[in-house]
Amino acid sequence: MRPSLSLLRTTTFRLALVQAGIVLVFVLALLGYVYFATVGQLNADSDLLADQEYAALDRAYGEGGIRRLNQEVVERAARQGPLLYVLAESNGAVITGDFQQLPQTPAGAAERVDFSFERVDEEGNAIRGRARGQVGRLLNGPILLVARDLGDSALISGRITSALWTVALLGVVLSIASGLIGSWLASRRVEALAATAHDVMSGDMTRRAPVRGENDEFDALAIAINAMLDRLQHLMQVSRTAGDAIAHDLRSPLTRFRQKLEAALETPPNTDADRDALRVALEEADSVLDTFAAVLKLARVEGNVTWRFERVNATNILRELVDFYEPAAEDVQRTLKGEVEDGLYISGEPGLFTQAVSNLIENALKYTYENGRVELRAVRRPDGRIEIAVSDDGPGILPEDRDRVLDRFVRLESARSTPGAGLGLSLVAAVARLHKGGLHLRDGLGGQGERKGLGAVLVLPAMANA
Amino acid sequence: MRVLLVEDDAEMAASLKASLSADDHEVEVAGDGELGHSMASGGSYDVIVLDRMLPKKLGVSVVRELRDQGVSTPVLILSALHDEDHRIEGLNAGANDYLGKPFSTRELLARVRALWNGRDREPQTKLAVGDLEMDLLARTVKRGGKKLDLQPREFRLLEYLMRHSGQTVTRKMLLENVWDYHFDPQTNVIDVHISRLRSKIDRDFAQSLLHTVRGSGYRLEA
Repeated sequence: MRPSLSLLRTTTFRLALVQAGIVLVFVLALLGYVYFATVGQLNADSDLLADQEYAALDRAYGEGGIRRLNQEVVERAARQGPLLYVLAESNGAVITGDFQQLPQTPAGAAERVDFSFERVDEEGNAIRGRARGQVGRLLNGPILLVARDLGDSALISGRITSALWTVALLGVVLSIASGLIGSWLASRRVEALAATAHDVMSGDMTRRAPVRGENDEFDALAIAINAMLDRLQHLMQVSRTAGDAIAHDLRSPLTRFRQKLEAALETPPNTDADRDALRVALEEADSVLDTFAAVLKLARVEGNVTWRFERVNATNILRELVDFYEPAAEDVQRTLKGEVEDGLYISGEPGLFTQAVSNLIENALKYTYENGRVELRAVRRPDGRIEIAVSDDGPGILPEDRDRVLDRFVRLESARSTPGAGLGLSLVAAVARLHKGGLHLRDGLGGQGERKGLGAVLVLPAMANA
Repeated sequence: MRVLLVEDDAEMAASLKASLSADDHEVEVAGDGELGHSMASGGSYDVIVLDRMLPKKLGVSVVRELRDQGVSTPVLILSALHDEDHRIEGLNAGANDYLGKPFSTRELLARVRALWNGRDREPQTKLAVGDLEMDLLARTVKRGGKKLDLQPREFRLLEYLMRHSGQTVTRKMLLENVWDYHFDPQTNVIDVHISRLRSKIDRDFAQSLLHTVRGSGYRLEA
């Protein structure tokens, strides 16, 4: 695991920070709203009440002077209502009222005041509280204070405020924590993928990204990466095998080529022998060039070359191929029979299709015994695809070897002595893939004793024969 | 005959020139496409042998321009890319034949001669080599007045050989022109077809017409 600082740079964590910011803004907005809806309203109500009382007392003072005012204040204070009253002399000394100390000495006309107070109730208990109201000097100096005891409402608004602040704090903390956990989980998966890529880059092609079976997007990514690695590994293996095989297949004829020339040079001049040596050398060179051409052709079929596909009359091509090879088969005491349905069409490249089927026929002729039989049978299957089967009664190929012989250059031990580069079936398989079809091997026509023969089956998508 | 060889690889050009000269041709060499084009449009050559990949102007462009100018000299394109689409591209541009590298010198010589002989051919309805006669309309073959019974593929094979009578015809040429196959069969298929044809046209007659040319191919000649 990398230093945890990197966690703070992950996308998930950044998203979590944004989320925390949004929570904070939301809580602040909510706080503002609740504050104005509760505390603000309470204050406004108190102010209105205190203002009305102040005005009423001021009127009483105007009508009846200080005595009337004092009387009114004493009466009202005695009611023990929600309002508090204090009347003081102009120097601030309290004459009468709910408590004995003015919160402040006003300079002039009524002003808003918000203060804490302490007073004694009827039972003699000291009461502390907050109050809000108006204080001011009346005409000729006396000071009047009318305030509303905020009492419980202050308590409630305080609780609401602190609850909101707690929620805001908690929201921010939770957002950051969930961001950290999320980014830690995500980066663990990403780092596992990165580690796999690192291992593969440093040469371990067998490493695969872990799939946790959670069917999530990381699993999907890991599965895709693994499929890609499988393909890469297969291609590397194929090209390595092919490299070795090319080296082997080219080295032998080149060595014989060189030996022939050297031997001809070292023996005394002899026109006949020299010409013979040259002829053999030429044959060896041709065989090297043939292998080379086959490799190039296979590479082109397997590569990304765009082939021009056209409508191909498979029936005609197959019948002509049987017709073409039939005399050659008879010449080596084999029988070649063709049974080709009418009206088989494919979308493809006619040259490659012809060569693919000719490879299958030549293979079958090559690996059967004297008096052997080879049959080419082409039918349209119920699923609409065209099946071209070239079957023989030769030695066949063991089921466990069948997949392998379709790879490039693979020649079974038993075939080492016969000529060929081992590219024939690979080319057929590649041509089949190019045409969105496939090649598979199965038992053939059967034969004497244990022999099963070999059936090479080329399946290609059909084209409507309209 | 006069052959123009357009080939940029000096060593290849020298070796081909030597082979063509040894086969009684008068050879001139151009080292790039532009020079080859100007020599071909000015000179009076019987056959032009053109490499596909040439500096300054590609072989295919040279042929196309020559044909646009009305120059009808037979052209053989040589190419390291012996692929179906390149072959078709070359033939569409107006080339008469296409040979993939590597090729044997005999193959090249046989094709150069075939190009020359195939030139300015009048549409024929009857072909004859010695006492062998072919009627292309009636699709019949007679030798010494006696009707021979040939299968369609044998008829096509014989027709090609008769059209190129007196010249060496390689197996590859037969494969391409009679069957339109552009790959090398690993078996001696062509030889078997020839021997079947031979048994029909030569067996009952004192003089053999269908000759094997060792190392090259076959020749039909009286």
